[in-house]
Order: sequence, then structure tokens, then C-alpha cells
Amino acid sequence: MYYWQWLKNVVRIPHTTGYPSEPDAVVENMLYQDNIRFDPGVNPAPGFAPRSVAIRQVDGGSCNGCESELGLLSGPDYDLTRYGFSFAPSPKHADILVVTGVITQAMIPVIKGVFSQMTQPKRVLALGSCAIDGWVFKDAPGVVGRLDGIVPVTVDVAGCPPTPGDILRGLMAAVESHSVPSQEVHP
Amino acid sequence: MASVLTTTVQYQTINNYGAWVKAWQDHRQSGYESILLTGDQESLMAWLLNRDNGDILALHHRVELSTKLGPPPSHFGIEETLMSEHWLARDWSELGWEISDPSSARGKGLFIYPLGPVRADVSESLLYQLIVMGDEIVHVRLKNGFKHRHVREIVRGRTVQEAMPVVSVFTMTSTVHHSLAMALAVENAWGIDIPLAVNVTRTLMAELERTMSHLGDLAALAVSTGLPVPQMQYLHLKEQVLRVNYGLFGHRYMKGAIIPGGVTTALWSEDPRLSEAQGVIEQVLHQSTRIAHDLEHTTSFLDRLHGAGVVPKSTLETVRPVGPVGRATGLEIDVRLIRPYGAYHDLKPKTYTLASADSYARFRIRTQELRQSLTLVLELLTRWDPSLVPRITQHQERVDFLPKQPWGIGLVEAPRGLLAYGVRLNQDTGRIAHLSVATPSQRNWMAYAPAMANGNILQDFPIIDASFSLSVAGLDG
Repeated sequence: MYYWQWLKNVVRIPHTTGYPSEPDAVVENMLYQDNIRFDPGVNPAPGFAPRSVAIRQVDGGSCNGCESELGLLSGPDYDLTRYGFSFAPSPKHADILVVTGVITQAMIPVIKGVFSQMTQPKRVLALGSCAIDGWVFKDAPGVVGRLDGIVPVTVDVAGCPPTPGDILRGLMAAVESHSVPSQEVHP
Repeated sequence: MASVLTTTVQYQTINNYGAWVKAWQDHRQSGYESILLTGDQESLMAWLLNRDNGDILALHHRVELSTKLGPPPSHFGIEETLMSEHWLARDWSELGWEISDPSSARGKGLFIYPLGPVRADVSESLLYQLIVMGDEIVHVRLKNGFKHRHVREIVRGRTVQEAMPVVSVFTMTSTVHHSLAMALAVENAWGIDIPLAVNVTRTLMAELERTMSHLGDLAALAVSTGLPVPQMQYLHLKEQVLRVNYGLFGHRYMKGAIIPGGVTTALWSEDPRLSEAQGVIEQVLHQSTRIAHDLEHTTSFLDRLHGAGVVPKSTLETVRPVGPVGRATGLEIDVRLIRPYGAYHDLKPKTYTLASADSYARFRIRTQELRQSLTLVLELLTRWDPSLVPRITQHQERVDFLPKQPWGIGLVEAPRGLLAYGVRLNQDTGRIAHLSVATPSQRNWMAYAPAMANGNILQDFPIIDASFSLSVAGLDG
């Protein structure tokens, strides 16, 4: 359909844009703002290959703010693959479950299902203030308000929404965490 | 000073249900746009917007439950308020409206391809049931409600100040517009005027948000056709805009920056470096124009978009989609022009329309709107002086009035389209008695299924999905 454009493209000069080619001060500050230096390659928790962690995200009733920030993690400014993370479409390939949102009743079986399909070892990240304590939706009907108790949460990342830097730090903390929360889960 | 509240709301009470629906249908045919359907205290109210002069007409029907109500408005071909209708049917069973399960398709060789609620890399929870014959998508059923947070219910009985944090997280990527629509509705009920400096600030935030939202949507569309380079470029630009937001207003999405009566100045940095922000926006404008130009010359991209996901004519009549999706079908509804709020009285943004109603049209409209928004941001940045904006945060408790009129209505053009808030305040306490919200996503999801099933194949699904770029948070509420 566009053969003439193919011809035009032969003589066209391709553009490249200004990717951040140097370390970005904003990102560096976000990542290391409390002087904790994460080095996931040095001493990984048993069973984790250094710097190869797949993330499965589940939306438990979010406002899509956390999703927007998660989406930016794959962008060139944060580039989560530099730290050994990637997104996995299937829970069976995932090492970290990232749950966003207020956790509605309707999503509990889904979240449990996704967690049970993930292979050991696995970690869970409660992303955003909603997933930690329900935030402004604590008393809403049909809203559980906290992820803890549904699946064993390794790390909480607070914020509305948490910045991509916070999310990266949370992911690294989850991988580094040797203490696995008890698998005991309330019904 | 230009007032936001120059337009009038005209109330009309119709006692007979059949006549009420008929009047709604007739107005809809003659220059009016349905914006809201509310049910509150034994009455149904259909809010209509006059496309020519921005006047609002509220068709009121007092429900007599002793007599049987007729079938719901969607039965008469009014489908843009379908989601409100479902909520009314569920919460107000006396109406006798039945929620029919979304229709299905049956036949030999048909296969239901379930997708969701957990799907893709990062996505919101929604269950798609694609009914396919081989590769061809024959029919689409959407099952939503996984993330129903009951925003409307939990704000009931709260003061306006208490309700704002909840309303602002309705959809985070449109938080400015949700807060703004709520603020406009409440200010409408209070009957107060807003200083020009506040209006300019709000408009700046609104256009920054549109920019951010469109950049994200375009990134998603680029990668849906397997082009990660423009995706990364767009994501980088989106990050730049988010940092400008943070630098000016103290939050990457400017959450909580708009409150009824004004804007929160407490969030602002003491010394917003305006020239720096201006430089970044100029860069974003320059680069995004170039990416769009390059995409317009990428044959593999164009091939996938042209003719994919055409919204059928019949759907245009029943659903009347809004925002970039609507403008890509030739329906020109832009609240910024019809009923100007903020500083749009003298900004006069340009509206782009295309008639082809396919994914390419939606892409094209978004790139044009992005350029327009960035130009408006630059124009506003030169005019914006934060020191002129009245500091009202310290006295926030004072900004709570008793309503002059029970109902307030707020209409804005959110990044995804017409967003309407209708709020009824208690006359004695000023607390919220009823809140009703019509998001652009609620409306456009109704056009989504017919467009998806209209002769497309499974491989088109991600592209059409990204070209609509609707929010599930806005659908479920």
C-alpha cells in the first residue's frame, strides 16, 4: 500500500533523539536518596540468579497511577533492565508479584491465583499506599484495603503514586530480602 | 473578569416517563449532547449540553414507584449513559430496570478467547471475551467491575474538602481534570467566582496533563505495532513533562493541586524556574513533532493502523464517543470551546477532526492535540505568575460555603474527552448529598466493542486497544 514511501525512505536520513546518555541526576537521587546502595549482584538471596528477575503486575483496583509509573520503568530514564528486571506476561515466568490498587473483593481470587502459579522462590511487592492500607478507600464497600494477609508481602512501597525510583528501590529490596514472610495466609 | 458561570442551567420537569425519554431523544437529535444521567431521591435527571451555546438543560422526572417505569433509556437508543443506567438499575431496584448480560454470539466454529483480568505486561484489570472465528474477531464482550472502588458512594455525606482526596484518585492520569471538574461543580453550586490568576494556573495544569497523557498513549500505540524506538522516545518525553509538573507544582501528576475555590499553593516550589520549564517544553514540542513525523513515514506502522478498528456508523449514533476517539470519527465535541472554563475564554484552542474513525485517525488526532497542548503550555507559561495566585491554603477551612443552589455541574475536556461531574449539596450543612460522574472512558468503552469486532483480526487487537487507550479505573469508578 505504501510502496512509494519505501522508495522515499531510501533517501531519507534517519533520526535519533536525545536519549539520556549520561547518568541522570534525578534518577540517581531517587535511587540512593537514603544512602542505601543496592547491589543485587553481590549477595543475592538463595535461589535468585543475580540480576535476572521477572515481574508480574496485577491491578487490584488502582487509579492507574501506579501503572503509569511502572510503565515508565521500561523507559530510557529508568530502564529497569539495567538492574536485571523485566516484565513477564505470565505468572509462571515471574519472580516478583507487584500488586497495585485498593484490593477489591473481586480481585482476591485472581491475586491468589497468580501468586500460586508463580514458582518458588517468589516475592511480593505491595505497590502504592492503596495496596498497603487502602489509602482513601479504607471504608469503601467491597474493598479489603490491604494486600498483606492475602498473599505474603515482602516489601511495601508507599506513595500515591510511588515514583519510579521508589519502585526500583522496592524491587531491589524485595530481591535482597533473605527473610521470607511467613506463608501463613488468612482465609 | 471573565466568569466561568455565565451559562445557565435550565430545569424542565416532565411527569410522564415516556414523555421524559421522548423529550431527551428529541433534544439529542437537535443540537444537544447527553452528559449525565443521575438518579437521586425519587427523581431521574438527564443533563444535556447545548452544542452551540453551551447551555445546560436538566430534564427532570419524578419517579412514581406506584406505576411501572418503562424500559431504560438504552432501549430507546440512548447508550452514552449506559454505565449510569447499570448503576441505577443495581442500586435502585424499584426502578425495575434490568441489566441484561452483554450479548453473545453463538455458532459453529466460534471460539471464546478470554483475555484478562491479568494480561499484558502492565495493565488494568478487565476481562475481554473475544469471540473469534479463526483469526477474525466476530464479537467482543467486556466484563468489568473487578476494580470498583465506589468513589461516588463513599463521598456521600462528606464535606467538599474531605471528598477531594477521593475524587482526585478517580483516574490518576486525569487527576487534574477530575479535581477540576469537581471544583467547577462545587463552585457552580456555591455560586462563587474564581480569580483570573487561578484560572490561568488551572489551565496550565490541565494542558500539562493532556500533554503527559497523550505522550503515554502514543508510546503505547507505537509499541503495539512493534516499534520500541518511538515508544522509548515518547516515554522519555513523558518523563520530562512529569518532572516539569513536579518542579512547578510539587507532584508528578499534580494530584491535590486543584481545590474548590482555588489552587493549593502550598505544593509549589518557592522558586519555580519558569524559563527552565519553558525550555523543556520547547524541546518536548520539537522532539514529539519529529517522532510523529517519522511515524507518519513508517510504512509498517501506517499499514497496521489504516482501516483497523473503524467505529461503525450505527455506534456513532447511539454512543456518540467523545474526546480524541470521538473527534477521530468526525464528532466535534470539545468542552473547551463549547463551554469555556479556566482561561479557555481567550486561549481558543483549535479542534481537529477526522472522519475515517479508524486507529490511524485516533493516532493522528492525538499527535495534533499533543502539539496544540504543548503550544498552549508555552503560551501559558509566559503569562503565568505564581505570585499573583491568591494563597488560600492557610485558610482552607474558610473556603467552605453554603450552596446557593442545590445542584452544581462541572464540565471539562479531559485528555480522554468530556468529563462531567454533577454534585448535589445539602442546603443546610453544605455536605455532599449526591455525586454523579460521567467519565469519557465509560462512554467510549461502549464504542470500543463494536469497533473491535468490525472485521478485524486478533493481531489487530493490541493496536486498536492502544489507539482507544481508555482507562478501566474511569469505567469502574
